[in-house]
Amino acid sequence: MSQPALDVFQVIADPSRRQILQLLTKNSLTISSLAENFDMSRPAVSKHVKILNDGGFISIRNIGRERYCMLRQEGFNDLQQWIGYFDSFWASKLKKLEALLDSREPKK
Amino acid sequence: MERAIRHTWFFPHSPERVWEYLTKPELLAQWLMESNFRPEVGHRFQFHTKPIVKFNFDGNIYCQVLELEPNKKLVYSWKGGNGKGEVSLDSLVTWTLAAKNGGTELQLVHSGFKGFRNFMSYIIMNQGWLKIAKRFLKNLNQSAHVPTGA
Repeated sequence: MSQPALDVFQVIADPSRRQILQLLTKNSLTISSLAENFDMSRPAVSKHVKILNDGGFISIRNIGRERYCMLRQEGFNDLQQWIGYFDSFWASKLKKLEALLDSREPKK
Repeated sequence: MERAIRHTWFFPHSPERVWEYLTKPELLAQWLMESNFRPEVGHRFQFHTKPIVKFNFDGNIYCQVLELEPNKKLVYSWKGGNGKGEVSLDSLVTWTLAAKNGGTELQLVHSGFKGFRNFMSYIIMNQGWLKIAKRFLKNLNQSAHVPTGA
């Protein structure tokens, strides 16, 4: 990897990259057909595609002579993990609260 | 449609008693975290937990009491980031207490997550993508034109 790795948030912080993902939810697309949706140059689109690929949000597959971009689950899983983190955080804290209440106060 | 974390617990104790554990800093410290909490709408307080580098989170949680109804409801904001001004977490914690069967039903809703620099709402809105992507991949894999070793 020539570039420093971006965290999952940085990867999808860019509106163009989010739009690429949005386009890919409908269909897998070649870089050229992706580029048709943007004002920027094809190399610029390629750069975004590379970042999304490195971040695990898309994969690139060669089909015939074309390179197709398609969504990949991995990057999205990292985002889900963040929510999952707080889910288990609260579950363990509430268990602690339960134990604490039960130990401190005689039941009525 | 919004994804939220929800936990409902029953405690065989009165709402008043449970409320104390939600609002007294010395009691909060025993099960949740050390904080400078005060049961006062508008009061800002902080929690500290372990940083998670991967998620750009420095472990500091910044909160503000938004709603307070003694023994019934407590709402505070729950924000965090990398400590350099970038907010990666902008959410809301809502506690609801209800007297039930001689005890208290406590409900926690941790919602919003719209922070995430707004990514989460994007992802949530597009949760259908996985199905679409899977269907597409399946079709693709079944297609005779796909070179397997490419």
